[in-house]
Amino acid sequence: MPQPPSSPSWWGVARLSDTSTDTETPALPGDGLREGIVDTLRRDLGEQLIDTYLLPQKDLWVRVASEAWAITGRSLKLQGFDYFCFLSAIDWMPSPFGKGEDDPSAPPAEPDPEAGAIKQGYTGGDTRFQLFARVTDLKRHVSVTIKADVPESLTMPTWIPSYAGANWHERETHEMFGILFDGHPDLRNLYLPGAFEGFPLRKDFPLLSRMVKPWPGIVDVEPMPANDDETPAEGGES
Amino acid sequence: MTMLNERQQLSYIAAQAADARLNVELETEGMTLNIGPQHPATHGTLRIIARLDGEQVIWAEPVAGYMHRGYEKLTEVRTFPQVTTLINRIDWLGSFANEVPFILAAEQLMDIEAPPRAQYIRTIMFELSRIANVSLFLGDLGVQLGAITPVFMAFRDREYVLNLIEGATGGRFHPNFDRIGGLKDDLPKGWIDETKQVMKKLRQFCDEIEDLLFGNEIFQSRTRGVGIIPADIAKSYGMSGANLRASGVDWDLRRDQSLPMAWDKADFKVWTHPDGDSWARCWVRLQETREATKIVDQLVDSIPSGPVMAKVPRIIKVPEGEAWVSTENPLGEMGYYVVSKGDLGPFRVKIRSASFNNISITPWVLKGVYVPDIITILASLYFILGDIDR
Amino acid sequence: MGLVDRGRMPIPLTKLFNIGRSYSMWVYQWGLACCAIEMGAAFGSPRYDVMRLGVIPLPASPRQADLVVVSGTVTDKMAPAVRRLYEQMPEPKYVISMGSCANCGGPYWDSYSVTKGVDQIIPVDVYVPGCPPRPEALLEGIVLLQQRIKNEDMGAKWRNEEYTSLQKTAARAAAAEQPIVVGGGPIE
Repeated sequence: MPQPPSSPSWWGVARLSDTSTDTETPALPGDGLREGIVDTLRRDLGEQLIDTYLLPQKDLWVRVASEAWAITGRSLKLQGFDYFCFLSAIDWMPSPFGKGEDDPSAPPAEPDPEAGAIKQGYTGGDTRFQLFARVTDLKRHVSVTIKADVPESLTMPTWIPSYAGANWHERETHEMFGILFDGHPDLRNLYLPGAFEGFPLRKDFPLLSRMVKPWPGIVDVEPMPANDDETPAEGGES
Repeated sequence: MTMLNERQQLSYIAAQAADARLNVELETEGMTLNIGPQHPATHGTLRIIARLDGEQVIWAEPVAGYMHRGYEKLTEVRTFPQVTTLINRIDWLGSFANEVPFILAAEQLMDIEAPPRAQYIRTIMFELSRIANVSLFLGDLGVQLGAITPVFMAFRDREYVLNLIEGATGGRFHPNFDRIGGLKDDLPKGWIDETKQVMKKLRQFCDEIEDLLFGNEIFQSRTRGVGIIPADIAKSYGMSGANLRASGVDWDLRRDQSLPMAWDKADFKVWTHPDGDSWARCWVRLQETREATKIVDQLVDSIPSGPVMAKVPRIIKVPEGEAWVSTENPLGEMGYYVVSKGDLGPFRVKIRSASFNNISITPWVLKGVYVPDIITILASLYFILGDIDR
Repeated sequence: MGLVDRGRMPIPLTKLFNIGRSYSMWVYQWGLACCAIEMGAAFGSPRYDVMRLGVIPLPASPRQADLVVVSGTVTDKMAPAVRRLYEQMPEPKYVISMGSCANCGGPYWDSYSVTKGVDQIIPVDVYVPGCPPRPEALLEGIVLLQQRIKNEDMGAKWRNEEYTSLQKTAARAAAAEQPIVVGGGPIE
C-alpha cells in the first residue's frame, strides 16, 4: 500500500502517523433497530408523532406534527443522527397541466373532478405541502426520513440550531415552494435572479415552453435487448 | 463544542498567533473582493464575495445559481427512461455514477433487480467514472496553485478512461447506458484486456501525481493546516465523500449499505485521514483513485456470464410509492428521493447532490483564512457546478 | 491604419491581413457547463492541441481576446454576465457557440431558468452542435471560423457592421454571410 510522503511540516506539526482506520464494520441495521428509533422518538414527542411506515429491511418514514418539527430535529440529533442528508418539500397537488405533452393548439380538455384530489404518500398527511428531511446515524448505519405537514400559513420552524447544513436547504425550499422558515437568518434567493416571480416546484407553476411547443417524446418505445419479440412483455417476472 | 484533535488544535493556535502578530504590526482597512462568476480555470460558474481585512477574509459568501437548470421540475415532465438523459448532466465528470441511484430507486419501486452481470458492469463503469472524475481533480489541483503540468497529464490519462467508457457505452461524457432492469448492451470484445492495461497506466499516473504534487514542498505548505474542518461540523453540514473521510469519519456508502451492486464482491480499503485540512482532502482522493483502479481490476476478472437485462415491460410504469437510494459518487453522497404515482413519469424527484452540501460549508470554513487560501480550499473541497445548482 | 478606417482597403492587402488575423487568435474560454471539459480537452490536452491551428488559449482577460467560445448552458442569471463579457472584448471579435445548450437550450428547452440559446444575447459566428460535442468538432469549428475570417471585408468590420464577405456575386456573399454550423444544415 502506498504510504503518503512524510516530510516535516512548516510549523512543526507532528509528522503524519498511520492514517489508516481498520475499525470493525457494524452489521447492517435490522428492523429491530428501526423500531427502537421509533420508540425513542415516541418517548420524546408523545402524541405529536403521528404515523410511521417501515419498509422491511430498507427504510423508515416518520411523520410528526408540524409544531413538533424543531423538537424532532433536536431529538434526532441527540439520538446520534448527526449527519444531515437533505431537507425539502413536496407539493402533493396533482399538476393542473398534466405532463405537458398535449398539443398546445388543441382545445383544453374537460376538467376531471377526480384530478383535484390530493393524495399523500407514505405516512399520509392532511395538507398540500409537506416538508421532508433525512438524517443518518453514521455509527449505527441507519437513516430515517421525517415528514411533517406544512400549515396554511406556510411557516415552519427552522432546523439550523440542530443541523447547520439545513441553512441552504431551507433557502432552496423557500425559493422553490414559498415556504417560510421561522428563525432562518437569511431567506434570500439561492438560485434564481431576484426578479423571478413564482415558485417553480409548485405544481401550478407552468413551464411556458411547453405551452407553445408540443412535446413529441412522451412515449418511449426503444426496443429492449431482453425482449426480441415484437409483442410487449407482460409483467416484471424474469 | 467542536471536537479538534491535538494536531488540529496546534495548527489552529499557530495560525491565530500569526494573525495576532500581523494585526499589531499593520493597520489594515476593509475591502470587498468579488471572485467570479467566471474564471478561465473553472468549468462552471461560482461567484464568491469576500469581505477582507487586509489579507484576511472576515466574511465570505458563495453566490450559487449561475448554473441552475431546474432538474427537479424537468423530471416531473419526463418519463422514467427519459430522466436518465437529464440526470447524466448533473455531475458531468462522473456521468454514469449519476444514473445508478436513480435507476436503483426505480427498480426498488418496481421490485425488480438487474441480473448479476449487469450489476458487475454497472459497478465497473461506476468506478471508471470515479477515476475519470477524480483524475481531473488531481490535475486541476496543480492549476489552482500555479502549476500547469499536472493538468496536461490528467487530460492525457483521462482520455484512456474516456475511451473505455466510449467503447462500452458509445458516449464519452454522457453514456445514458443504464436502463431500468439492466443495461443497454453487453461489453464489447477485447474491452476487458484493454481495461486492465489502462488501470495500470492510471496507477502510474497516481504515482506521478503523488511525486509531482504531494511530495512538493510548496504544495504541502500551501495546503497543510489550511481550511481545517472538524468532523462534527462536517457531519452537521452534511458533507460527504472524501471531504468527510478527510475529517476522520469512516463512512463509505459503498461498504456501509447493501445495494444490488458488486462492491461487496471486491476487496478495497476505505481511506480516512485525521487532519481535516486541504491536504488531507486531496490525499484521500488520490488514494481513492488507486482503490478504484483496484476494484475495477478485481471485478473485470470475475464478471459472471448471463444476460444484462431483466425482463421488463416495454412501456415502463412505476408503481405507486416512495423510494430513496443514494450511492457514494465521486463527489460524495448522491441520492434520489423518487415519488411515483403509478404514471409513466415520476411525480416528484428530490435530487440530493453532494456538492450542494459540501459547498454550503464555505461561509464557515473561509472565515479567517488568507486570500490565496480561498482558492486552495475551494479546490480541495472539489465541487462541480452542475452538482451544486442542479 | 488610415485605409482601414476609411473603409477603403485594397482587397489583396485585406487578404494578407486576414491570413495574419486568422492564425493568431487569442481565444477566451467561457466554460459554463459540461462542454467546458471537452473544450478544456481541446485546448489544454496534448492529444488535441489547439495551438497547432494558430489559436492561443488562456488569455488573461476577455479584453485581450479575439474569439470567445461559449460552451455550456447559459442561464437567465448568467446572461447579463455573458453580454458584459462580449462587450469587454475588443473589435474585431468572434463567437463560437459550443454545444446544444448554448445553441438552443438543448435538453433544457422547457426549463424555467435557461436561456434558449446564446444567440439571443450576442451574435454567433459558428455553431458547434452536440451534447457535448467532441473536441474534434470544436477544432473543426475553429478551422471553419478561420476560413470565414479569411474571406472577411475588414473595412466593414471596422465600421461595426455585420460580417461582410469578400465574395463578388451577391448570391455567394449572402451564402457566406450565414452563420456556420459544424456538420452542415440550416439553423431552425
